[in-house]
Amino acid sequence: MTLLITDSLVESLARERAFKLLDKDSAYEILGPFDRFESPHLVAQHIVPQYDDGVIIVKGTLNGKPTVVISIEGNFQGGGIGEVSGAKIAGTLEKVLKECKDGQLIYPVIIYDTGGVRLQEANYGLLSIAEIGAAIVELRDYVPVVGIIPGKIGSFGGMSLTAGLCSALIMTREGRLGMNGPEVVEQEAGIRELDSRNKQLIWKMIGGAVRKNMGLADIVIEDDVPNYQSAILDIWNGEVELKNRTKQVNQFLSFFKSLELDQKITPDQAIEKFKNIEIVENEVVLAAQELVNSRGKKWFDALTNGKQSISEIPSVLVADTEVEGKLARVIAVVPNLENKFYRARNGEVGLLEGWAIAKYVREVIEEDKNLDEKRLIIPVVDVPSQAFGYHEELFGIYLSCSAALDAYATARIKGHPIVAAIVGNAISGAFLSHGMQANRLIALNDEGVNVHVMSKKSAAIITQRTIEELDEAAKGVPSMAYDIKSFEKLGALYQLIDGVNADEPNERDIEVLVTAIDSALQDIKTDDVRNLSYRLKTDIAISSGRVASIKIREMIGQQWK
Amino acid sequence: MQKLTYTFPASKSINRPAHVGVVGSGDLEVLVEPSNNNEASFEVRTGITGFQETWKKVIERFMSQNDIAANITINDFGATPGVVSIRLAQAVEVSTNDATNN
Repeated sequence: MTLLITDSLVESLARERAFKLLDKDSAYEILGPFDRFESPHLVAQHIVPQYDDGVIIVKGTLNGKPTVVISIEGNFQGGGIGEVSGAKIAGTLEKVLKECKDGQLIYPVIIYDTGGVRLQEANYGLLSIAEIGAAIVELRDYVPVVGIIPGKIGSFGGMSLTAGLCSALIMTREGRLGMNGPEVVEQEAGIRELDSRNKQLIWKMIGGAVRKNMGLADIVIEDDVPNYQSAILDIWNGEVELKNRTKQVNQFLSFFKSLELDQKITPDQAIEKFKNIEIVENEVVLAAQELVNSRGKKWFDALTNGKQSISEIPSVLVADTEVEGKLARVIAVVPNLENKFYRARNGEVGLLEGWAIAKYVREVIEEDKNLDEKRLIIPVVDVPSQAFGYHEELFGIYLSCSAALDAYATARIKGHPIVAAIVGNAISGAFLSHGMQANRLIALNDEGVNVHVMSKKSAAIITQRTIEELDEAAKGVPSMAYDIKSFEKLGALYQLIDGVNADEPNERDIEVLVTAIDSALQDIKTDDVRNLSYRLKTDIAISSGRVASIKIREMIGQQWK
Repeated sequence: MQKLTYTFPASKSINRPAHVGVVGSGDLEVLVEPSNNNEASFEVRTGITGFQETWKKVIERFMSQNDIAANITINDFGATPGVVSIRLAQAVEVSTNDATNN
């Protein structure tokens, strides 16, 4: 008789998962529970914290190779990323990057079990995830970044943008990979769009086996520790072809241009379509008949002097213009009421928009590759959210957002200065895709300028609080508030511009923004730093905004052996 | 969130610190650290308020069986008394075990 005893990762807690993957007696934990680095923001809201804040960092070896496992605890606050947990992930990846640059290769493995941003810390999660994404993009050039999604939660929200950036993804059938959780899609788009209680449908859309069949995950395994280990080794040894999905811009963009949404596409049909992704005909997206003069459009027109957009996607405006005598590419996402992706008609970043942003950012990188002075890129940010919809989840909107993030991060790393102008809403995955990878963030001080991760209604449902309770909590925790003055308190802004008419900019208003962009550009050039560290170095960040983020990075350095 | 503290005289020493559990639904995390003065001190943070009498009984029972000199910190997310007892027992087992293992 053969005994079949499996060593399950799904059934293990995050710490056990990390230690199980690594060679026996090789591993030690960094910033473990006895350091008691808990979330100050949860305590401020009378929520019981956890001493490791739900992220476990374990360094050791796997098959003799130096390895760091970053393991997210899905049982604690749904694996949500706050300031401390986010800084533990970002800080570790940044440390690994530094070691790799110094010639010491360390192999990062991220175990995802997360709903994305922790809503109780909101914008801290957003800032952290931008930093995590930035680090992965840079790291991939040195070592494969392996992502594992064992389940039970899976990977959702902004963290899925970072999963999309990984060199390769390992999943189980129990794992799920999507952006907006089914409950949030139902809340935002209605039960006819997606019934979140239909679990069978959910797994057919975003479950591990389906993601593999769609070509969006690399390896699907049975949940047993040796399987994970051999899958990781296969990736390291080059036995798994790295797909670089976020760089396959033309392929995915053509694919989404060609999709017909007259009827709901079933998961089985979606798999078939993905299998034929290489042979889709390149179709033309018709220009919109009825234009919406959104803030984003107005400021795009203002900055480009009313130039015609060169973009093939009507909801993404792109033009090259001169800013203080220097060439710059301006990119804005705007409403298109005729968008066939009907959940992305109000300026949301959807399947088309993310890939279109990626295309026009990568175009600049390519065009300027032999130039010493790289073109300035200006994302004009007025994005209400990512698109919440059935087809969006089915076809992997997270990857569309990853592609945009990747393009901006790559441009920045290659020396393109990026200055994001936040003129309207900068929400959640849309902001992560469009704006958050900029070297400098500039915002208009205006009531219509908001930074947040989820509509109040959805946030209330997910955190099981009332909207009044959320508003009350936001008073003491600025990262939870929606207004730009609160966001400024986190220290990430280069400049908050007063006295400008955000809705109807006149000549002087435009001049004020252009001057601010130019000043940011000079600052980038003086600084000559190509990562996102500026946000941790401002006076506000140091004194109050990012105290924990900074301290954690220091402690990772101290405990690193 | 409610904070509860309890102190008991204690005589047995433990070998090493231990950490078990998770602050997840119906569960808790327990940190046990050796103490030099003959005392067991408990600090509990719990999301469920109004159960201090229950906590007291569970901890008294634990002390009557274990009598360890230690600082014990608990972050609780709605664990039942049974789960609390099991986690405490698990923590003691780890902290009095000779093998170094996580």
